[in-house]
Amino acid sequence: MSHGEYIPLAERKSLREKQIKKHNIANILTHWFNAGAGALLVLTGLGILFSPRLGIVPDLWLEFTRNVFGGTANLIQFHYTVGLIWIAVLTFNILIGFRKYFIPFARNRMLLDKDDIEWLKVKPLQMLGYAKDKGLPPQDAYNAGQKIYSYVVVIGAVLIGFTGLIVTFHKFVPWPWLIQWALPVHFGAMGMIIAGWIIHVYMGAVFPEEKEAFFSMFTGKVSALYARLHHSKWYWRYIAEEVEWEENILEEGRQLQKESAAAD
Amino acid sequence: MATKKRYGFVIDVERCIDCRACLVACRAENNVEIPFTRIWVMDLGLKGGFPDLSQTYVPYNCMHCEEPPCVEVCTSAATYKDEETGLVLIDQEACIGCGLCVEACPYDVRYLDPKRGVVDKCNACAQRVEVGREPACVSTCLGHSRLFGDLNDPESEVSQALREARSVQRLVTDDVDPGPNIYYINGDVLEPAMLPREPRYTAAETFWRKLAIPAVVAGVGLSFLGQATFFIKQLLEGEKEFEE
Repeated sequence: MSHGEYIPLAERKSLREKQIKKHNIANILTHWFNAGAGALLVLTGLGILFSPRLGIVPDLWLEFTRNVFGGTANLIQFHYTVGLIWIAVLTFNILIGFRKYFIPFARNRMLLDKDDIEWLKVKPLQMLGYAKDKGLPPQDAYNAGQKIYSYVVVIGAVLIGFTGLIVTFHKFVPWPWLIQWALPVHFGAMGMIIAGWIIHVYMGAVFPEEKEAFFSMFTGKVSALYARLHHSKWYWRYIAEEVEWEENILEEGRQLQKESAAAD
Repeated sequence: MATKKRYGFVIDVERCIDCRACLVACRAENNVEIPFTRIWVMDLGLKGGFPDLSQTYVPYNCMHCEEPPCVEVCTSAATYKDEETGLVLIDQEACIGCGLCVEACPYDVRYLDPKRGVVDKCNACAQRVEVGREPACVSTCLGHSRLFGDLNDPESEVSQALREARSVQRLVTDDVDPGPNIYYINGDVLEPAMLPREPRYTAAETFWRKLAIPAVVAGVGLSFLGQATFFIKQLLEGEKEFEE
């Protein structure tokens, strides 16, 4: 696939060796916590949906989950408990991390710029086998597809969290209609996220070109080559910051030299 | 749904004197708080002209139906038909008080207890039946109007009463017949006030079934197919690793 840039072999080799940091440890832990809690919640959540009128979960799974947990009430209790832990941990992480890790990068992570719009036009065509010769516009740390999906996840997670709380604390909800509507909204938001999640897992863990993205969710690092070809805007900003840092250090050194020369 | 036992009530309407001791016994046995009740007696009013007057009282509660619409609509099987006894029960630990079953019940015998946030109704005193006793309403019934037992067992009191009855009626119509397990004997109870209504389904439930589920199935299905296409392509064409 064309990434619109030719890099000479020698440079390519050195770029492959060089690792640059994409995710900090907080992000990595939150990601895998989310994955684990999500898996438990989706599997037990589907197990709850017994009504034959809904008819989307095979009887086998409905029986199996009830057998594992010892009945409907225990299954639901487990779902509540994991859900509450999920909400608590995410809320805590957002509260402590929002200003430091999200606000400064929100523009690059969530807002769509001109290049992103162009990417959204070209990428689907390329996936269908057209416009192969057209280069993809440069992307930031997250590409336009990821940015769009992030909206689905954020809106979906908020809906799932709130509707989940309504059902968990149904005792304190005086309006049955609110509980009645919480259920399909909870389900619909889950479906919305799962639809994108299938692509997320395929791209992240199976699709060979994005292999580095997968390993970066463990090590936090990607190779400079991958960063430059897939997320060039982010890469060049990273390099600019590195150069600026180096210059600052050099400037500091020169300043010290001057001072000690003056002292002599 | 065929169950091992088929517990049900036989009510001899000729013997009911509207004393409502059954309501009191039920409230005491099951801690049913005022103003709620799990059991009712309907007064069908005076009939005929003097001196040929008659008045019928119809005790009723959950019919423990064979095909209960309340169980079908319950999201989680918090309300279920017990496979052993055939009784329709509520697991109040699992119930979220959404009230879908209250709307669905054609006999309006369920209510939402706002204090506990769960649905409640007659459980045929399952806690007594389990240890071989009759439901409180039955054992307290002065006129011996209420009978309870296994309708599958031809030797049970209820089966015998049904055999010896002059007439047997169930509260069903041509349109609504969930298979109620209360049999009324020796009297006419098929008055409009007693007949079941069509099960009601809320807008939220309809939205869920008709819109949310098809949308999610379509979305997840398309996404899965797309991913599968690329995966098969990847397998057929061989893996092109990013690092050449």
